[in-house]
Amino acid sequence: MADLEIRDLHVEADDTPILRGVDLDLDKGRTIALMGPNGSGKSTLAYAIAGHPAYEVTGGTITWKGTELNELTPDERAQLGVFLAMQYPVEVPGVSLTNFLRTAVNAVRDEDVPVREFMQSLRSEMAELGVDDSFLQRSVNEGFSGGEKKRFEILQAALLRPELAVLDETDSGLDVDALRIVAEGVNRLSGPDLGVLIITHYTRILRYITADEVHVMFEGRIVASGGAELADELEEGGYERIRAEHGVSV
Amino acid sequence: MTTLSAFTEDDLAAASAAAGEPNWLTDRRLAAAKRALDLAWPDSRKDEFWRSTPFQQRIDVDRELVRSGAGDPPRSFTDGLGLTLPTARIVDGVLTEVTVPEELAQRGVVVTDLSAAATDHRGLVEAHLGSLTTNDPEGTGGDADRTITANDAAWTAGVFIHVPAEVELDAPIVVRIHASESGAHLPRVLAVLGHHARASLYLEHTSTSDVDALVDQVVEVIAADAAKLDVASFQLWGNKVDHLALQKVQAHRDSEIRHVSVTIGGRTVRLLPETDLVGPGAQTRPLGVYFADEGQWFDLQPYVRHIAPNASSDVLFKGALQGNSRTVFRGNIFVHRDAVGTDTDENNKYLILTEGARADATPFLEIECADITAGHGSATGQIDALQLYYLTSRGIPRDQALRLIVTGFFREVFSDVELPGVQDAALERIEALVEAADLSSFQVNDASLQDLRDE
Ligand SMILES: Nc1ncnc2c1ncn2[C@@H]1O[C@H](COP(=O)(O)OP(=O)(O)OP(=O)(O)O)[C@@H](O)[C@H]1O
Ligand SMILES: [Mg+2]
Repeated sequence: MADLEIRDLHVEADDTPILRGVDLDLDKGRTIALMGPNGSGKSTLAYAIAGHPAYEVTGGTITWKGTELNELTPDERAQLGVFLAMQYPVEVPGVSLTNFLRTAVNAVRDEDVPVREFMQSLRSEMAELGVDDSFLQRSVNEGFSGGEKKRFEILQAALLRPELAVLDETDSGLDVDALRIVAEGVNRLSGPDLGVLIITHYTRILRYITADEVHVMFEGRIVASGGAELADELEEGGYERIRAEHGVSV
Repeated sequence: MTTLSAFTEDDLAAASAAAGEPNWLTDRRLAAAKRALDLAWPDSRKDEFWRSTPFQQRIDVDRELVRSGAGDPPRSFTDGLGLTLPTARIVDGVLTEVTVPEELAQRGVVVTDLSAAATDHRGLVEAHLGSLTTNDPEGTGGDADRTITANDAAWTAGVFIHVPAEVELDAPIVVRIHASESGAHLPRVLAVLGHHARASLYLEHTSTSDVDALVDQVVEVIAADAAKLDVASFQLWGNKVDHLALQKVQAHRDSEIRHVSVTIGGRTVRLLPETDLVGPGAQTRPLGVYFADEGQWFDLQPYVRHIAPNASSDVLFKGALQGNSRTVFRGNIFVHRDAVGTDTDENNKYLILTEGARADATPFLEIECADITAGHGSATGQIDALQLYYLTSRGIPRDQALRLIVTGFFREVFSDVELPGVQDAALERIEALVEAADLSSFQVNDASLQDLRDE
């Protein structure tokens, strides 16, 4: 049994079916890329894994390390090592980045990490990701640029040390340098204890992060799977071939 | 027996004599008493500024004036600041203690009994006492309101504060007002800041939890040219105290005023933080946070009068409500026809945490001058489901996430307030209230969840 096992997953939002039977396996230590045209349901899958309240699982299962995630609250999932770097990170006015991260780290590790130790690791991770110290006092995501938000998502992952990281278009909105810094950040986290699901439209992030498998989502289903070469083909030729082969109309 | 509703001139003359007040002050009290007794108590159906608090239902004026000085105030949030602060305490209608560090006394800083100051600092006291409440020709007063005029006549304990010109104080001056005895409490504060003086004044209002009292308060502050003044007023009453407060500042040329109110305790609090911008270039920033719970009624009426040109005002009040509580924010802005170049903005935002609470916001602008910049806004809301999701998705349990969001909501008000202890004292208390609340009954607004695709 894979560490993450998704079987025949059906998800609705606003009473509209979006995912119509998704199957996916991901083991810790491996990296999967998920591609697919706009609106095909990639973020919906990510949110369903991370327990977003707007997405209702109407059929199928998501099992993580043998636990059915469906009934768990988002914080319980995070405490089991699930992390979603969101496509659109949320602004939380008045909650300082430091306070937020410390509360989250303590909750996930279920211990009171001493302030000094916490600040030390926070500062060093910030330095690695090129996030300025002035952000410590800023409110979570408030007034951050698109790229700053993405970096901050990865900073959170670095501190929370998840075992499953879903990166939903973390590469979009980043310039070349930022992309490299963020990708290196993900690579530092990688290892036998982390499974990564990268959702992306472009192969450029896959030049830094090696994907073991590539899957393509169309209209709420995974319709093609392959190795890294599949990503290259999609970037060059678009979704035409797959569309024709699978008779899906998008 | 002297009650608030039926004091006699004889009562007041006797009390004034007992306090050793000079004749000029006694005469003023008697004149105010005449005016007070001629006025009716406010009628919330008729009086524009009383619509927001049902006077007859909530305020009992048939109470004896308290003058015992018996109680013992609790720890102050300023105790932890590790400083010897100039402090005055009014306890149960009596000024029981005044402390002025020697170093400040040498610089001419005065914190003293107002009755005694009427003799010792007669020039300043005679010129300014009542100048913001009565029709003094030099002043900006004139509100014909019996709750204020009654204090003019019968205030039982007063503090006089003087910070001479060009004296800049780092540490706050603390006035603590405490009620432990049921009845009517009539505290009075007069503060005068000379030109280019800088000071902050903390008003800390506390009571025992069971005392049933009406506190009818007047605070007058004169800020001379280019003075910098911060007032922080903490309403930390028990839940049977009704507090009617006029806290009014007269702001002269280029002075900078900030008033921060923290309203948490009290059965009824009707707070009027007012600024009269009488000098060109003066600035005021009335700020407020409030958290209302079961049975509480808070009526918050910042009032800014733009009388001189090129002055600015920026009002921000943020509140949260739960249980059967009621808050009214009524932001009054008056711009005189000569006040060209006025820049004014006011905002009120509040969170309705549970069903049954009700909040109203009415900006009230009276603008006689066209050449100004004015803005106002108000936003009501509930806890945002998307924010809640974001925090919980990082492993933070729901209750803790709610606490972070609610205290975070208030933090904006303090974003450029650097008054020692004030932000921490306010937010700690709010956090404690949220901690004690039934978080499962908090309403969360789902609207933002549906907006994902619009980003
Ligand atoms: N909260 C929602 N309510 C209703 N419909 C939704 C909601 N969220 C997504 N959808 C719809 O579901 C479909 C899939 O959306 P999703 O965001 O999962 O796509 P995506 O593959 O991530 O697209 P993109 O590449 O643009 O990020 C779209 O048609 C979208 O409009
Ligand atoms: Mg998406």
